[in-house]
Amino acid sequence: MSDPSIKQIIYSQETLQKKAAELGQRISEDYRDKELVLIAVLKGSMYFFADLTREIDIPIGVDMISIGNIPDTTSRTGIVRITKDLDLDITGKHVLVIEDIIRTGLTTAYLIQSLEARKPIDVKVCTLLYNPDRLLINVPIAYYGFEVSRSWLVGYGMDIDEKWRNLPYIGELDHP
Amino acid sequence: MPIITISRQMGSLGDEIAESLARKLDWELITRSHLIDRFFAEFADASQRHMLNESAKFYLTEVEGKGTYKDLLEQSLYDLAGIQSAILVGFGSQVIFADDARAIHVRVIAPERTRLNRIRKQFHVTEEEARSILSVADKKHKRFVSTVFGADLTDPAHYHITLNTGMLSEDECVTSLVALQQEHELRFRMRSENEESDTLDHMTELSVFRNPSEAEFARILDMYQIEWKYEPKTFPVEWDAEGNITLAFSPDFYLPKFDTYLELTTMSQRYVTEKNRKLKKVRELYPGINIRIVYKKDFISLIERFKSFGN
Repeated sequence: MSDPSIKQIIYSQETLQKKAAELGQRISEDYRDKELVLIAVLKGSMYFFADLTREIDIPIGVDMISIGNIPDTTSRTGIVRITKDLDLDITGKHVLVIEDIIRTGLTTAYLIQSLEARKPIDVKVCTLLYNPDRLLINVPIAYYGFEVSRSWLVGYGMDIDEKWRNLPYIGELDHP
Repeated sequence: MPIITISRQMGSLGDEIAESLARKLDWELITRSHLIDRFFAEFADASQRHMLNESAKFYLTEVEGKGTYKDLLEQSLYDLAGIQSAILVGFGSQVIFADDARAIHVRVIAPERTRLNRIRKQFHVTEEEARSILSVADKKHKRFVSTVFGADLTDPAHYHITLNTGMLSEDECVTSLVALQQEHELRFRMRSENEESDTLDHMTELSVFRNPSEAEFARILDMYQIEWKYEPKTFPVEWDAEGNITLAFSPDFYLPKFDTYLELTTMSQRYVTEKNRKLKKVRELYPGINIRIVYKKDFISLIERFKSFGN
């Protein structure tokens, strides 16, 4: 697939699949004989989640969650809320949240707080990309694919205004 | 360990609140009957235990070579609080733990009319009988604390908080106490850290933001329901020859859940350089501390995201 808006390909389809395989193998080793639920944070992580879970060779539960901002009568700003909740019960289980990218960590922090209230054994995070320079909150990133510093990344689930999600690679936009 | 003591008037729902709070916090609930069986079985036979249950003065009786029952009670409770969190109901625990910085002392009361109605329903008695039951109970509670500890249990100075169940439901009381416990524990932790590292405590001050950016950032944290404290402490970084602080750093926000300090820098590069220099010193002097700087471009990007949510 070629798209004139893409300045350059940062991670090719092959590179991404290799990384998913590597992380899948590590997760399989770390959680062998443990009850693990992987949670995809929609929509950005959906392709990474699909590739990663298929590289994990231990029994796992899979589920998806989505968060958004809804108006709130008691505040001017509205509040961040779960807009699609889990179907599985995570109480007493290990939980791994799968993200496409962590920038400031605020969304992930919100998610971790919400999941921890359901009394899992622990909640850790696996993110394909993260930007250590912009990370504001100390979230428990146990696995990551690549450190990034670029801003306009799209593809492999990531979007800008809902465009370019379905690119099989991660590219950098010339300008949004 | 953290403890909560609950002193309650009869008919105030204090026992129900204590039970519900113990379940919610998953702490052990210790009442007078538990306490006598648990701590005095070794030193007191059945008739002495009966006396402990009935007579305040009996607590001042000497147990051979071990001090008084009062001394044994205090020591047993200190030992218990050393190893586990607990909710202690009655028996003057607010006086025993008066100097414990980690304890919260709660008094539960209700208007007399409310208490009378509750007692009437609970024991199926007339109003006059209910009045008599309350009068005896109030006197006994007061006498116990005054005889054993020389204190007045109705003195509000003994308590961090007094809850009136004529105006608050049991649920409201329990929810408030859970929140208070979390806040008090955080306060205790930060005060202990201050004592260890010579940092300065600001947590008794109200949050008055110095500039609109800080207020805006607080709203973003609220939006994500991330608990924050505004400038809760100051880290001294330079001292003069006499030990007076000449340079200090007070990060704008502390996020207790993530043990992270955040400092906003939304002004010119000249100030950013100065802040970075201070931050480097803080990291050298207070290793292990987690401080992040929110640079101008990150702040703008968060505000943009904030706006994209329709605000």
